[in-house]
Amino acid sequence: MTTVNSGLARARRGVAPGGSGRPSPGRPSLNRASKLHGQTSRTYFWLILPSVLLLLLINGYPLIYAGVQATHDGSLIDAGNFVGVDNFTSVLGSEAFWKAVQFTIVFTIVGVFGSWSVGLGLALLLRTRIPAGGLFKVLLLLPWVVPIVVSSTAWNWLVASPDSPTNKVFTALGLETPLFLADPTLAAITVCLFKVWVSFPFMMMMSAGALTSVDNTVYEAASMDGASRWQQFTGITLPLTARSTYISWILMTIFCVNDFPTIYLLTGGGPVDATTSLVVYAYRKVFQDFQTGPGVAVAFLMTITLVIVSALLYRQIRKSSVE
Amino acid sequence: MNAMTERNRPFSRRGFLGLTAAAASVPLLAACGGGSASKTGGGDAIKFWDMPWGTPAYNDAAKKITEGYAPSGSSLKASYQTIQWNNFYQTFSSAIASKTGPAVSTGGGFQAFQFEQQGAIAYADKVIDALRKNGQFDDFLPGVIDPFKSDKGYIAVPWQLDMRVNWYRKSLFDKAGVAVPTDWNGLLEAGKALKKIGSVGFMTGAGAGNFLGNHAVIQMMVNNGGGVWDENGQVDVMNERNVEAIEFMYELYSNGIIDPAGVSYNQDNHDAQWKNKSKAAYGPHVFGLTNRVGDTSGDLLVADPIAGPHGDKATLVFPNNIMMYKNTPNQEASEAFLVYYLGKLKDLWQQKLMNALPVFKSITEIPEFTADANNVKIVKDWQPIAKTFASRSTKLTANTAVLDGGQALTQFAQTVLTGKGDAKTALKAFESGLKQVVKS
Repeated sequence: MTTVNSGLARARRGVAPGGSGRPSPGRPSLNRASKLHGQTSRTYFWLILPSVLLLLLINGYPLIYAGVQATHDGSLIDAGNFVGVDNFTSVLGSEAFWKAVQFTIVFTIVGVFGSWSVGLGLALLLRTRIPAGGLFKVLLLLPWVVPIVVSSTAWNWLVASPDSPTNKVFTALGLETPLFLADPTLAAITVCLFKVWVSFPFMMMMSAGALTSVDNTVYEAASMDGASRWQQFTGITLPLTARSTYISWILMTIFCVNDFPTIYLLTGGGPVDATTSLVVYAYRKVFQDFQTGPGVAVAFLMTITLVIVSALLYRQIRKSSVE
Repeated sequence: MNAMTERNRPFSRRGFLGLTAAAASVPLLAACGGGSASKTGGGDAIKFWDMPWGTPAYNDAAKKITEGYAPSGSSLKASYQTIQWNNFYQTFSSAIASKTGPAVSTGGGFQAFQFEQQGAIAYADKVIDALRKNGQFDDFLPGVIDPFKSDKGYIAVPWQLDMRVNWYRKSLFDKAGVAVPTDWNGLLEAGKALKKIGSVGFMTGAGAGNFLGNHAVIQMMVNNGGGVWDENGQVDVMNERNVEAIEFMYELYSNGIIDPAGVSYNQDNHDAQWKNKSKAAYGPHVFGLTNRVGDTSGDLLVADPIAGPHGDKATLVFPNNIMMYKNTPNQEASEAFLVYYLGKLKDLWQQKLMNALPVFKSITEIPEFTADANNVKIVKDWQPIAKTFASRSTKLTANTAVLDGGQALTQFAQTVLTGKGDAKTALKAFESGLKQVVKS
């Protein structure tokens, strides 16, 4: 009977190889349970080992190799000589690096909170019954769905030259023609706005999902107690969707810090490094200045920062769950 | 009974574990096997990797030439592969590192010098010897081959020239009532007159992925007898000629002669300004601008070379080249294929597939090339005064790759094209940035 059972089914039941699954007479049942438990653990260990090895190979090898590159002075072909933490110190001592840090922080803050504000606002708006609400939802998803190459080309067409449509509107209004991508300050603002435009549908989806879990009767009760709309928003909506909000912030922070195409396709990091984020800076270091070590060192510093920020936000999620 | 059930059992635990281990080992074995198998470097054919040069039909024609190669004796045939420009350096680097790269390739203008520095390039001296024997060596345009000669040998062989020449739109000069400039003072005066009719007297672009603005700034320095390197190939940015050239650029900007939006123009934006018949009136651009923007009106013309305040005339040229790699199944076969391919280059210009100047005089004389008066003017007036990025030195090095497209030059060019600060401050920052990344 036991031989027709598969090994997997036996393992699930905690039955050792060769065992019947019934207590055998004359042996203490506790010892047997302990032995069975040990055998089951070994089975599980061997079952997950291949997956763990594959994961280590896929994730660990590039990480180790990147660590080697960050501590050497070589190229993409040759690792070069070991230089310790020289690449890190040279990067941290560079003015361009700190300028990139500054822009990355601004870009991330605007990207996260700008897209969250717009997304939450639209999610609240679409919660009310409006004609063709479904159609609006689909249309509002377009910036997220459309490939970034297409949307960056569209934005470039809208703002790049004095003959672009947006510039012409300013000219028609009798205002000075703005240089949206040529003026360093305006270029930074334009790139941040582009990021908000690309990202708000994601935030809208996350917020809409969270809002569906808030029971309408809570609002009705608050309304009967005389709570204003603003009080309902700050006292009900925000706390009850906090968990989802923190998750979306973590995700969007990672998206923003690692965002290469949004910036690179629109401005290339210029003019005069005004829109160079850390990931663009790292790319330029490796592939334009051919300084592999310092470029990878920047990527390492980014990873560490992201882990810290994510951990802090994750603590907020746990806190909000407890509350 | 038991034996039967053992055989019929779909999955035994040991069998499952064994199968999983086997599955896990497949990519490992594949990875190991790939490396060793690739040590032959291309199997039984010379791998030729080529970039998308010229028109879309170019790669088909180049493939046909490659596959038409019929080697004599036991030499190897050649296979053709197109490599896209996106991340091309990464593509080549990874392939070379894993010994799966090409035996022969085109590529970035300075790629051969970078890979030579890393010990991956096979010198082309025997190819040059063969070209001497078949007469093609004497057919090279003047000064084309010299930048590739190093102490160890010829690093690569040039096959086409990416020229920077000044273009103008005749109708706009007629409308503004000024002559096409032949010197810097004329450029300033013409620019002022063109501004009055809403046109740009020095059009360039330095936005995402557009390096023409970077080249334009260096071109003006070279035009004035300056350049980034001294005669020994060391960084020398702060020389008087460079300062004078950049001060002139600032003067052009302050007079509204440089388009203030140009700093953000990508290649499409930049070309659109030239396509717009009322915008770009004068400025540096590439060989074959008329084809690039689709203007067959005859209104877009190559200008005369412009003289700096000391009478110097010079422009920039990027000699694109074909290189050979040490990772080849047979070096003699690589050399034989390269000699064959260079002999077939004329086909590409005869079919009008190239937007670049050929390196051979004989190709510049074919009717398909001379039919365009702009081409003839570039060969006659611009090519003889063209200097590489190495100017004032004669030798190209891996450092020129760091200069071209590097952050230091991009930041410098964008600073100048936005008119921020002053010439000496911009040049000092450029020199400082460059010294941090070049290898002495």
